[in-house]
Amino acid sequence: MNRRFSWFNATSITLGFAFLYIPILLLVIFSFNESKLVTVWAGWSTKWYGSLLENQALKDAAWVTIRVGLMSATVATVLGTLAAVTLVRMGRFPGRTLFSGMIFAPLVMPDVITGLSLLLVFVALGFDRGFWTISLAHITFTMCYAAVVVQARLQDFDKSIEEAAMDLGATPVSTFFQVTLPIIAPSVISAWLLSFTLSLDDLVIASFTTGPGATTLPMKIYSQVRLGVTPEINAISTILIGIVTVGVLSAAFITKRQSDRMERERRKAFGAAG
Amino acid sequence: MQNFRDALMAVVTAGNPQANHASSQRAGPRTAAPQSGFAPWKNPSLSPIVRFEGITKRFDDFVAVNDVTLDIYEKEFFALLGPSGCGKSTLLRMLAGFERPTQGKTIVAGQDITDLPPYQRPVNMMFQSYALFPHMTVEGNIGFGLRQEGMPKNKIAERVDEAMSMLELRQFAKRKPNQLSGGQQQRVALARAIAKKPRIVLLDEPLGALDKKLRQQAQFELMRIQETTGTTFIIVTHDQEEAMTVASRIAVMEKGVLVQVATPGDIYENPKTRYIAGFIGDVNIFEGTVAAIGDGCIEINAKDGYQFKTRSSEPVTVGQQVWLALRPEKIRIAHEQPASAINAIPGKVEDIGYLGSISHYHVRTAPGERITALRANAAHTVERPISWEDSVWLDWPVDAGVVLTG
Repeated sequence: MNRRFSWFNATSITLGFAFLYIPILLLVIFSFNESKLVTVWAGWSTKWYGSLLENQALKDAAWVTIRVGLMSATVATVLGTLAAVTLVRMGRFPGRTLFSGMIFAPLVMPDVITGLSLLLVFVALGFDRGFWTISLAHITFTMCYAAVVVQARLQDFDKSIEEAAMDLGATPVSTFFQVTLPIIAPSVISAWLLSFTLSLDDLVIASFTTGPGATTLPMKIYSQVRLGVTPEINAISTILIGIVTVGVLSAAFITKRQSDRMERERRKAFGAAG
Repeated sequence: MQNFRDALMAVVTAGNPQANHASSQRAGPRTAAPQSGFAPWKNPSLSPIVRFEGITKRFDDFVAVNDVTLDIYEKEFFALLGPSGCGKSTLLRMLAGFERPTQGKTIVAGQDITDLPPYQRPVNMMFQSYALFPHMTVEGNIGFGLRQEGMPKNKIAERVDEAMSMLELRQFAKRKPNQLSGGQQQRVALARAIAKKPRIVLLDEPLGALDKKLRQQAQFELMRIQETTGTTFIIVTHDQEEAMTVASRIAVMEKGVLVQVATPGDIYENPKTRYIAGFIGDVNIFEGTVAAIGDGCIEINAKDGYQFKTRSSEPVTVGQQVWLALRPEKIRIAHEQPASAINAIPGKVEDIGYLGSISHYHVRTAPGERITALRANAAHTVERPISWEDSVWLDWPVDAGVVLTG
């Protein structure tokens, strides 16, 4: 590894991180601002966090967001896990390539298109737009992420462990619940956390598929910002950043710990063999 | 009272002739009499526990197993032997139910199980990678199969304990697989495979991951478990020594085809083809044509000018191309010219491989052929040891070699 310190490297890293994080940092700092004016610093205070608690509209929006997040993350994780198991385990079946392509296409699909097409479906089916349509839409797009996370784990899973379970008399379904699921559980948890986080900060798709009475937090923030940024928005945004950071970090941590453990086991097995 | 017991015994014996027959045949220790007593394949009244009937397995255009018909009998320790890619593992996996044969039938204990899924078959397998459940303890792993049967908990604990004590695993009961050494994991895998007391245990390269010393111990352990449980074991291995050590019979496979099925002794002494002769043990092979056929013996004109006389049961005709296979330990090596001129060739010692108990002598003959002879280093000191560049004579009796036609 090249550990030589160079001014060029240091500068580019500083600039890069500054570019990424200064806006966020400013937002967090100004959420603790005493002044009502967002751009003028008037000393530390947590009063905007207090006033958040009295803002019924924001609280409602937060409640909708959390319900949508829990619902869509749970369903998306179940569906994504099933899709990943099918893709990795069922071997070659007609249309496998098409199926896997179709699972991953929404990952690169622009949100606007996903949102618009879902809106068209809901209108065509005559669904009342609101909590359920947002949840459905979020399930649709977060499921692909869940499938990718679980699939990565399944791919380096020793297939003979499942064969051993079946050999010992477990049916395929009971093999899945007794053996496969407990072993891939960490990746299923990180898939859930990722899906929840994605659902939490989605604005575009939610805006397309929402209806009266179901406003998510990002939508609420966006509409308020158009009327002028208040320190309350900064406060709620800081909380959101906190939740998302915790979610993403724990997903990464769980995945990392799992891959470390697998690596350790592999090294141990190799050591025992050699 | 005595009469009553005798009468009862007679009834029991009559009711279960096969079991009694097999157990009485297997009573003596195997090491004392390698293949003499136990030979159910020679008994036409016994029906096999496993029968492969014309099994073929194709993966796209690749034929992994080609029209294999094979009978395996109860209480056998049967080895499928061959180099990697010869189809032996595929055959085993078809018996376990993980692969479906393209053609043919698999019959276990008279029942056609070709279409049964793995979880309904009366066989249990020990995997090459052990395939232990990483999230369960040793106990949990061994009891897994019993739990699937819905056996009551105290009964499971009893059976798990029995399997653990048989394999000396009791002190590891609460450990997870990643807290065990390779040898311990291997024993857990074996305990798990026998815990359900299946009729047949399949072993797919079970000792491949162990080092040589541990492997030899494990081989004897396998034999001990197989004999105490009286289960039929079928092992897949590419290690010919392992197959010779553990098996009652060996099936040698090459490119998906069964080449020979016989006892280890038969395979070694009477290999059917040059491939088998070379695969199992060392061998010297002379190519030639049949010159004359006499009373039980044939004369061979070897390609390099020698004339050999050898006993042969192989039906051959004069002028036919044959190969004479000679095991190194059946060739005598000496400084003096032997009294009889039959099968004697002079040569020069080129290399000596000293292995302690035995020595290999590589002798170059006048026409340039290289022959390996083997001699046990029985005496502590030898007056005139054979050394490099010595002129020596090699000779062997008429019944030392095997005539091969393929």
